[in-house]
Amino acid sequence: MTGPLTCMRGIVLTQAWAGSYCTELLAFMGADIIQVEVRKRPDSWRGTYDAPLAERLRQVETAREAWNCNYLYNSVNLNKRCLTLDLQTEDGAATYRRLLPLTDFVVENFSPRVLGNLGFSYEQMAAVRPGVILCSLSAYGHDGPWANIPGIGGTIEPTSGLSALLGYPGGPPMNSGMMYPDAVAGLNAFAAIMAAIRHRNRTGEGQYIDLSMQEANLSFAGEAALEFLRTGRQRERMGNRHPQFAPHGIYRCAGEDKWIAIASESDAQWTRLITALGSPAALSESRFETKALRKENEDALDAAIEGATRTENCEELAARLCSAQVPAAAVHDGIEVARDPALHERGVIAPVRHPEAGEWIQAVIPWRYSGIQNPPVRPAPRLGQHSAEVLAELLGMREEEYERLVAAGISGEGPPD
Amino acid sequence: MASALAGIRVIDISTSASGAWCSRMLSGFGADVVMLEGPAGHPMRHEAPFDSSGESIPGAYFLAGKRSAVFDLHADGAAGRLLALSEQSPVVVSSLRQHEWEALGLQPSQLGQGNAVVVHITPYGMTGERAALPGNELTVAALSGWAALNGESARAPLRPVAHQVAMCTGTLAAAAVVGAVIERERSGERGQEIDIAELDAMVSAGSPNVLRGQYTGRSTPRRDGVDITTGPVPVADGHFALTISRAHFWRDAMNVLGLDDLAEDPRWETSWYRQAHREEYAGRVSDAMRQWSKADLFEELAARRVVAGPVLTMDELSTNPHLAERGFWTELDGVTQPGAPFKLSATPWVLPSRPRPNAATRDPAG
Repeated sequence: MTGPLTCMRGIVLTQAWAGSYCTELLAFMGADIIQVEVRKRPDSWRGTYDAPLAERLRQVETAREAWNCNYLYNSVNLNKRCLTLDLQTEDGAATYRRLLPLTDFVVENFSPRVLGNLGFSYEQMAAVRPGVILCSLSAYGHDGPWANIPGIGGTIEPTSGLSALLGYPGGPPMNSGMMYPDAVAGLNAFAAIMAAIRHRNRTGEGQYIDLSMQEANLSFAGEAALEFLRTGRQRERMGNRHPQFAPHGIYRCAGEDKWIAIASESDAQWTRLITALGSPAALSESRFETKALRKENEDALDAAIEGATRTENCEELAARLCSAQVPAAAVHDGIEVARDPALHERGVIAPVRHPEAGEWIQAVIPWRYSGIQNPPVRPAPRLGQHSAEVLAELLGMREEEYERLVAAGISGEGPPD
Repeated sequence: MASALAGIRVIDISTSASGAWCSRMLSGFGADVVMLEGPAGHPMRHEAPFDSSGESIPGAYFLAGKRSAVFDLHADGAAGRLLALSEQSPVVVSSLRQHEWEALGLQPSQLGQGNAVVVHITPYGMTGERAALPGNELTVAALSGWAALNGESARAPLRPVAHQVAMCTGTLAAAAVVGAVIERERSGERGQEIDIAELDAMVSAGSPNVLRGQYTGRSTPRRDGVDITTGPVPVADGHFALTISRAHFWRDAMNVLGLDDLAEDPRWETSWYRQAHREEYAGRVSDAMRQWSKADLFEELAARRVVAGPVLTMDELSTNPHLAERGFWTELDGVTQPGAPFKLSATPWVLPSRPRPNAATRDPAG
């Protein structure tokens, strides 16, 4: 292993996105990350045991178990080991207690009362493993009147203020198309745990991190919050527009559902933009002459821009505008992102071979250090893939003992027998 | 109270929102951040909207908690003075592209006599075919797959609100800086450079979308319109999101809404089945929800532990009793602000009180 967290180990008691993404990033930092799952109730991002395989995987010979072939799970659990362990059983809890002394940090996203009810509150864990860092990711934090209200990305987005800001001008509030608050919570938890590790390295002191998804996301809506606090104004939904600059939008191009993003932040950029668009008469009108006028006449401006872009190939036009130093980009969907040669060249997307799902392009490590080699990327684990390995390696568990756990459904691979 | 980044001084020479968010995160962790601004001030000081005193609100938010000094990076001798300043600062946050470093006549690896951690935060990274291209929140949203997912299918794709690209990137960059600090302290080795691209950060943050299209052979479509499966729908006094994943959420929510036949039919217990046949129930559920206020529906569903969320405005959030009891809102230099994104028990994330950052002071090396 390479990376700043080499020789560190984290146990993950989370499912779905936020905690899984956070700990995937910690794995990319070199930590040994052990994702703990329960056979009778797999990670919700593995899907249910009766779910069908995704369409294209039906042609992949090795793809048999849908719970090992879910794009959701497999996209945010790279570089981890998967141990199944049912903490609600006596033997499962005892096994977890034996793992704790070998653990530097734990990340969980149970409801606030669950971990304490299992006998693993922060204080109880710290008694077994002094210096441990525990990060709880929950919808609304571990105290306060909403502490026990459940939430996920799709409900945190509205309760954090983000949905009220997302949408077309004059239109209703919207949620993002991707449970975005989970990514925000995951990134914030990642930063918080990194900081806590640095503190522990220097002092030996562990700590408890209480991450409320609502608060992490509200901090990302914070400038609109500050705007309200200072001016009494609720920021309006602006679509793709910018408070100051115009044009600043996404415009239709030739072809089905083809679009280009174009922004102009100065008069010089505007001049280069209209030149690159072939100086159409509609854009040369006096009402678009200055930055202030363009903003004032933004509806007409957007219509005139789209009049010029809608017959253009979006990739060719983006290249032409960028070479004129005008910020522009074709809108890419997920499939196009996976094909983007520049992203391949950067190494931020790369082929990852999963033992069941096969080889596909995935988003991998999003940073480059000049003095640290990033660790090799490993596929997301199959359900319980590393159960025997982890228990033998870390606890010296003999095969008979492991088999007893398997027979009781406490550990093992795949669904319960 | 201890600080996670005690003893770390950061020089921020960036001019981007991403760089500003990175150094703000580092400041909250306890680093001493000195922001070097050109004579015209950090570009975010000039970004709308403004308050009644003329201060930029994005500027006030992103630049808080830092010390500020005027430093003209393009003045004669600036490179030498930056080198001198960096000797006392183990971390440098930059948004300069490679050609801009070259124009300064400086190699980042020279900073801190080779001991500095230099984090480069740029739209497309320091290498690759896009490295020198102009980019911003909008273009990164386009290229990362974010925009294609958002908005309505018949209308233009939508970018994320405000500065989400900058915040995701800045947070990732701050964590990467801490990683480099850990590595330096662990190994005793010299500093290093970190290359963080806004586009790479947003591709990472949207990683499920990259794999989904390949497994299914189809791109994820934008929504067709208002629908309970995709986001908030109208209720009596606003909008409300009902995001149903588990069988009991469905059953309990339908009972609350008085749709007992939907609650009892076992076909609807499975998430993938509901997704595939949503046109059979979405309209009825939306109609039933219109009879409720946000608060009443949230209370009823929360009591049954059904995931749901009212669309809250900043007015509602600023007086929200839960956030008040959690102590989320904070006072900084006499102004109420959004507080920490998370609570660390031993090393709280807290922005230090500083003079309002529009009071930029003298050139620190002048």
